[in-house]
Amino acid sequence: MEQIVVNGLYLGAQYAVIALGLTLIFSLMNVLNFAHGQMYVLGGFITYTVVSQFHLPYIVGLVTSAVALAVIGALLERFLFRPVIARSKREESTMLLAAGVAFFLDAVTLLIFGEKQRGIPKIINGVLNWNFIIVMPYDRILIGVLAIALIAGFIVFMQFSRSGRAMRALAQDRMAAQLMGVDVDRYSMIGFALGAMLAGLAGGLLVSITGVNLGMGGPTSIKAFMMIMIGGAGVISGAIAGGFILGMMESVGLTVLASYGDITYLVIFASLMVFLAIRPQGMMGKPWG
Amino acid sequence: MKIRSLLTTTAMAAVTSLALFGAAYAANPVLKIGFVGVTSGPAAAWGTSNVRSMQTLAKMINDAGGEKIGDKTYTIQIVTFDDQKDPKLSIAGMEKMAQEGIHYVVGPNVDDGAAAVRPVAEQNNIIYFPYAFPKSLYVKPASNAVLGMVANYQSAPAIYKYLKEKKGIKTVAFVAANESDPLSQRDGGVEAAKALGLKVVSSDVTYQVDTTDFTPVLLPVLKTQPDLLVLSGVAPAAAPQLIRSARELGYKGLISTETAQDAKVLQEGAGKLANGFISVGGASTPEIASDQMKKFVATYTKMFGEYNDESNTKVYALEYILDTLKADPVAINDIKSFKAEMDKFTAPNPYMKGNEKLSYVGMTSFGQKRQISVPLVVNVFKDGKFDTLLVARVD
Amino acid sequence: MKLTEKLGVVVFLVAVYVLVPALIALSGRWDFFYTLTSVALLSIASAGVWLTFYIGRINIGQGAYALVGGYVSAILMTKAGLNFWITLPLAGLFCAGLSVLIGLPILRLRGVYFAMVTLVLTEVARLSALALHITNGAKGITSIPLPGKVALFGITIIPDFSTLANPKLAFYIMAVTLMVVSFAALWRIVNSRLGHLCRSLQQNEELASSIGVNTAYLRVLAYAISSFFGGIAGAGFVIISQSIYPSSFQVTDSVNFMLNCFLGGLSFVFGPMLGTLLLYFGWDLLFSTGKYQMLIYSSLLILAMLVLPNGLLSVSFSRRKGVGK
Repeated sequence: MEQIVVNGLYLGAQYAVIALGLTLIFSLMNVLNFAHGQMYVLGGFITYTVVSQFHLPYIVGLVTSAVALAVIGALLERFLFRPVIARSKREESTMLLAAGVAFFLDAVTLLIFGEKQRGIPKIINGVLNWNFIIVMPYDRILIGVLAIALIAGFIVFMQFSRSGRAMRALAQDRMAAQLMGVDVDRYSMIGFALGAMLAGLAGGLLVSITGVNLGMGGPTSIKAFMMIMIGGAGVISGAIAGGFILGMMESVGLTVLASYGDITYLVIFASLMVFLAIRPQGMMGKPWG
Repeated sequence: MKIRSLLTTTAMAAVTSLALFGAAYAANPVLKIGFVGVTSGPAAAWGTSNVRSMQTLAKMINDAGGEKIGDKTYTIQIVTFDDQKDPKLSIAGMEKMAQEGIHYVVGPNVDDGAAAVRPVAEQNNIIYFPYAFPKSLYVKPASNAVLGMVANYQSAPAIYKYLKEKKGIKTVAFVAANESDPLSQRDGGVEAAKALGLKVVSSDVTYQVDTTDFTPVLLPVLKTQPDLLVLSGVAPAAAPQLIRSARELGYKGLISTETAQDAKVLQEGAGKLANGFISVGGASTPEIASDQMKKFVATYTKMFGEYNDESNTKVYALEYILDTLKADPVAINDIKSFKAEMDKFTAPNPYMKGNEKLSYVGMTSFGQKRQISVPLVVNVFKDGKFDTLLVARVD
Repeated sequence: MKLTEKLGVVVFLVAVYVLVPALIALSGRWDFFYTLTSVALLSIASAGVWLTFYIGRINIGQGAYALVGGYVSAILMTKAGLNFWITLPLAGLFCAGLSVLIGLPILRLRGVYFAMVTLVLTEVARLSALALHITNGAKGITSIPLPGKVALFGITIIPDFSTLANPKLAFYIMAVTLMVVSFAALWRIVNSRLGHLCRSLQQNEELASSIGVNTAYLRVLAYAISSFFGGIAGAGFVIISQSIYPSSFQVTDSVNFMLNCFLGGLSFVFGPMLGTLLLYFGWDLLFSTGKYQMLIYSSLLILAMLVLPNGLLSVSFSRRKGVGK
């Protein structure tokens, strides 16, 4: 049982980082970023290249991923999403744009980094083994802690920095924020960059454990969607909660339902649908998105 | 703007390369061989190693002046179609091949695609070489599909038998991704294990293809303490993670799979933990690779920057097509002759040392010769490369 | 219907039934038959998604109904031995019925919430197909027979497809006919009282409800029609590929159906048809670019969005009132 909880916590921490970026972009601009998973994959590949090809320390790889993805995010917002949002009649149109970006990033990743699974050497060797009650490799613990630190840092930034406050105001009421003198364009761009950066960081963190491959993008996006739905779309705390809940559900579900075989995920997904049908705004979201 | 300029450059590069390709080999008549499979998205690795194997072999042949079939010398051109692992697109790809006048196609890579293209292939007289295992594709009345590799229901008994006799395993556990191909392979593996008198202690656990942490998946499996853990139909991307999780959870037994893997991927993803991992490969281990195989690997590496060990088995399909056509040149436009030739065809295997032969097999599994004979080479991973564990033959 | 519109319909019908087959016969591009057959069938499913857009819901779950429809048709043909032509409407009806059950709870959701639930629905459908026995699980259903003969009073209305010299043309005619009927139905719905009510839902559900529109009933009705289209499209594909697997329709397909609608334009009944044609044909035509196919395809998609964020049809119709707006 202890093992299951620890697994769930670790999974939850990594999920939460992925979900955070997605929910930030959604809350600021009402864009459901289909390309989030692709950004995550790109972040993983960048860290891999820096660490395994250029033989630089892991932390350099992480920072490079973060910076590169932040720049990509900012450019995407400035040159693609902003003009389209300004001119389209229905804001859902950005979904097509986001999907186009997802395809595009997939294609670029394939051409630059190839089709193979990539991974970097273990950061720390060894496994924590507490009487076989809890077995956890040290590198997983490190990544889990880093992920939680990242989440904490992000919350502090959103709560106390000037930019964080501006973005929260934007998320609450775009019009009101604008009237109060918040530079909407500027903070939308920063927010998008920050969201993309979080995706890149998540990719950089996980490449040390699970590695990265081209195919992870799409499914990761969908998983992240589910997390923000559980917690409530566009709510930071909701995304974190959603990440941990999904992680826990998988960990517990896989153990409890193991003997029923193929239906484990069917049960998880079906119960998710039932939950959302009963409580559409998720746990802490605003109703009706 | 960034994207526009990138687009222009790429478009120009594409056009130029197409033009160059046409010009370089204009002298000989062209023989087109098709490929329909997945080269983008999640499963890109499968089709990409296929396409690149074909392109490498074609380049080797063309650089040497072309392939002499009958009294004509042909330049080999590979026509590829990316079906994105979508059976609906696989059909479109096969139609495209028919339109190009192609009669021999390698692919598709997965069960659903291979089943979906069957009507098109039969209507348009196309022989295709899928990398999919369902027997219904190869058993009569089906007759246009030729299995391009060793099926897991053929390799599994050989591997389990060897491990039972040599390593004394008694219990087996299976874990598979929640998708058609791996699940079918798992069922085949369970059957083979039971037939050998092994005890199957766990076979119900599955995982989603997008799993990023396999610890919860493996926990219930490893509780049953199997002697052998089989990763049924495991994708090259998931194999190192599964191995790593199993070892880190303290699992000491053997781990094996019946699909081809890549040594570099295993090394990067699991490092030392992957030592002892048993998988099915082609013929590139140093003990048995011929000079032709070494040249193939070198050319491949030169063309694409990095070799993929999955290509060891994937080089064979094109070799078989061309050699069979050589044996009966009429078959270039007549698949009836090709089918007739398949029953008696035999040629030396250029990729393996010794007196190995190429021939069509499958009488036992399908009741007709609808499989290419690829040597069943079982490898064991050690410190970044594969060693040969055993070599067997399929009939 | 105005005269110009009548004329447009006639031109369209002549084009798809006479011109296209003639051009294909002339140019010898027989592979286009399959491409266009796919476009026709996929556009039917997209039309369903478009209808849910019309009541203000983003539907990313059409793949689920296409899969269910496909399985219903396949199972009825292989296990009950029914003729394909009987299973086709049954597949649609089964999906419509199923969608009422699923729709009742989930149609209360809106915006991204509804979108996400439907997305999960696609995955649930795939996993169910894998887990159930009647669907033959992971092994799928293969070797499905071609459509049989339909005769009324001894007169053959539809011949047995296996006796035809050119089944490609027959499938094309079948798919195009289904498409024409579906879009005619859609056009009729949009321009009827039901359509006006649906539009009121799209704009403001509370307001519509307050003036006495039975919103719950309307939503379920529209969703059921939408799912009917999905089922028909799925069954259509099964008969062409003569096989079905749990992966035959998945999340990617659901997303594509939605993208078809966006690309064509959400304000235009024929938007999904155009969107499907371009997205599918675009991929097909770029086939010669080899490994750059995806890059060029996605770049063009982004460019289209940048230039025409309201869908491609917004160009030609921008000066006059678009259909149904």
